[in-house]
Amino acid sequence: MAALQPVAPDALLPDYMPDVWRGCQVHRDIPALSSGYAKLDRHLPGKGWPLGALTELLTETSGNGEFSLLLPALAAMTSKRRWVMLLDPPWVPYPPAMLGHGVALERVMLIRTRNVEESLWACEQALRGVRGGAVLAWLEDPGFARLRRLQLAAKAGHKAAFLFRPMVAAQQASPAALRLQVRTQHKNAIRADISISILKCRGRRTSQAIKIRRTQQLPGFAPLSEAIQGSSPSVAVSVTAPSEELRHHSRSR
Amino acid sequence: MLWLALQFPHLSLDLVTRGHELCRDLPVAISDNVSRKQCVLDCNPAAAHAGVRPGLPVNAALGLLETLHLVSRDTQAEQDALQRLAAWCYQYSSQVTIIPQRTSLVLEVGASRRLFGAAEELAQKLNGELLQLGYHVRAGTAPTPEAACLAARHGLHISRASEIYSRIEKLPLDSLELDLNQGPALQKMGFRSIGEILKLPRKALARRMGPAAVDYLDRLTGSRPDPRPAWQPPEHFSSGMDLASEISTSQALLFPLKRLVSELCGVLRARDRGIQELHIYLRLDSRKSEQGEERFHLGLQQATRDESRILLLLRERLERLRLPRPVRHIRLRAGQLLPFDAQQNSLFMDKPDLSEQPVRPLLERLCARLGTDAVRGLKGIQDHRPEYSWSVRELDEPADCTAMPHRPIWLFARPQRCRIGEYQVLAGPERIEAGWWDGHDCRRDYFVVRDRTGCTLWAFREYKPEPGWYLQGMFS
Repeated sequence: MAALQPVAPDALLPDYMPDVWRGCQVHRDIPALSSGYAKLDRHLPGKGWPLGALTELLTETSGNGEFSLLLPALAAMTSKRRWVMLLDPPWVPYPPAMLGHGVALERVMLIRTRNVEESLWACEQALRGVRGGAVLAWLEDPGFARLRRLQLAAKAGHKAAFLFRPMVAAQQASPAALRLQVRTQHKNAIRADISISILKCRGRRTSQAIKIRRTQQLPGFAPLSEAIQGSSPSVAVSVTAPSEELRHHSRSR
Repeated sequence: MLWLALQFPHLSLDLVTRGHELCRDLPVAISDNVSRKQCVLDCNPAAAHAGVRPGLPVNAALGLLETLHLVSRDTQAEQDALQRLAAWCYQYSSQVTIIPQRTSLVLEVGASRRLFGAAEELAQKLNGELLQLGYHVRAGTAPTPEAACLAARHGLHISRASEIYSRIEKLPLDSLELDLNQGPALQKMGFRSIGEILKLPRKALARRMGPAAVDYLDRLTGSRPDPRPAWQPPEHFSSGMDLASEISTSQALLFPLKRLVSELCGVLRARDRGIQELHIYLRLDSRKSEQGEERFHLGLQQATRDESRILLLLRERLERLRLPRPVRHIRLRAGQLLPFDAQQNSLFMDKPDLSEQPVRPLLERLCARLGTDAVRGLKGIQDHRPEYSWSVRELDEPADCTAMPHRPIWLFARPQRCRIGEYQVLAGPERIEAGWWDGHDCRRDYFVVRDRTGCTLWAFREYKPEPGWYLQGMFS
């Protein structure tokens, strides 16, 4: 009687079961777009924001660095003439600042809806619509079933889909491919490091918190390079009269 | 030349029932004045099942079936429908002729054989498509228009001129299109079939029946040419239908709308046109009046004739529609018929270019449901006051803007009053004073502040017009 040979677990799984996730496989071929932060990219399975999948960004309060975390990726997308659609943002994305961060306004679309039902519908349409690009949505508690629909829509539209959700949503299950908790940590006036913990990450084990060093671009604080070049940082810019063009305009009225 | 005749034997009935998905259960009859008496002209199977027959007086019909939906015949509507059907048929033939008194169309199909296959196949195809639009049709082909009309009544397909005589000689005499009393006169003389008439010497026949009848017989057999004027399709489209049973839910309107839209798309294909605007009128009262009418219009970003795309938009639009009363009449009117530029597909099946996908279908869908001002772009305006230095724009407008990376990425819709004591001031002030020329004069000192949760905000102290501290934006 032959002794039982140890069998590799992989051999037990027939090839026709591709849906069975095998821990030993390394997910290299996940489509992704670089986030613009090398440190974050290293921790994400496709070396960047997943494309064709939902990404959830959870924050205690809105405006905790979650939007600026996306700006380099949005700038890269719009420069490739892909659409970036903002669905019901809580405030106005200020055009001069968006352009200042490299986001081409020609490819930014703002969608406003009147109620929850419409916003979920519009989100799904936007995700399915034009192939490629990104959808950024601020949805009110969509629920698992609707998130699943959105996940499928994002896959169909090959979209980078970002949902901004409050911290309490971390307690609920979600079909999103990536769930991040984002927090800003201030070291001084302009050092605003972004601390990211990966709550869920499809295709990779979650890791410890990632800290991204970042200096906020604030008026009154000149970037370091300029200061070295010798131009004195202008602390206050006082504008007391309208520009020549405007003055002319007012006279002609 | 080969002519295909389409006869619409139940046109007046079709016009009433085609708006209903389940018209089979609803007994409908058409009444008309026959020798000063209201008689049933035509009825659908549901009515026939109850014993209603064409020729029955109206009162007797109502006695048989109380729930009978009686509609008096509208000859004008029939003629309009024939015009529309001719425009629709124009996609299969460049020469379409309307024969109004016989509610028939005659199409020259010999030249289209290579495109659409043999005449019999085309007849079958047309039959199926017209049934989809809600019209019952009898089709027949023959080498002369008159013979084609005859063939349509008997479902014949005659392909050669030499076959005409042998195929029609056995047909009964009353299938001929003779004057009202000529047919009975011939019957009295003892003639029974068409062949017997065709054998008669023409001169003698002309003396008895007049030259018109002889001319007709000659055109029928092809011994005399029968030129037909080329009909020109109109430059507009408008089609409506009465709804025999009132429709009270907006989703139920989709069925009649689908028929109207596919009729429209056929006409557009025929003319190689597209539409950018579609008007829909829903009449809620039995009579025409201003207030009893719901209307809406559908705008498209690009000329189209894609039926499924239009229907998708209509479905979204209908979801928003609330009907106060049931709809009795529905009408669809197309805006200007515009030149259509078709999308060319690649012959070599190479990968689609992903860089520039059309965004228009998405925009149309969003605008159809959310309203036209729901989807916008952003632009900058040359102004120092933050709230006046941006604006929404139509997506096809250029987005002029000056880059200002040191400004907050979020701007509040309007400045919010705040207590500055709760915030840590990081930088400032930056004086902005502008607007004395347009009535929104202001003088402000801007500061960068941080709140307890760690949000970096943009605050200002206003001196003019209303002194106080405000928050205006957020650095993310």
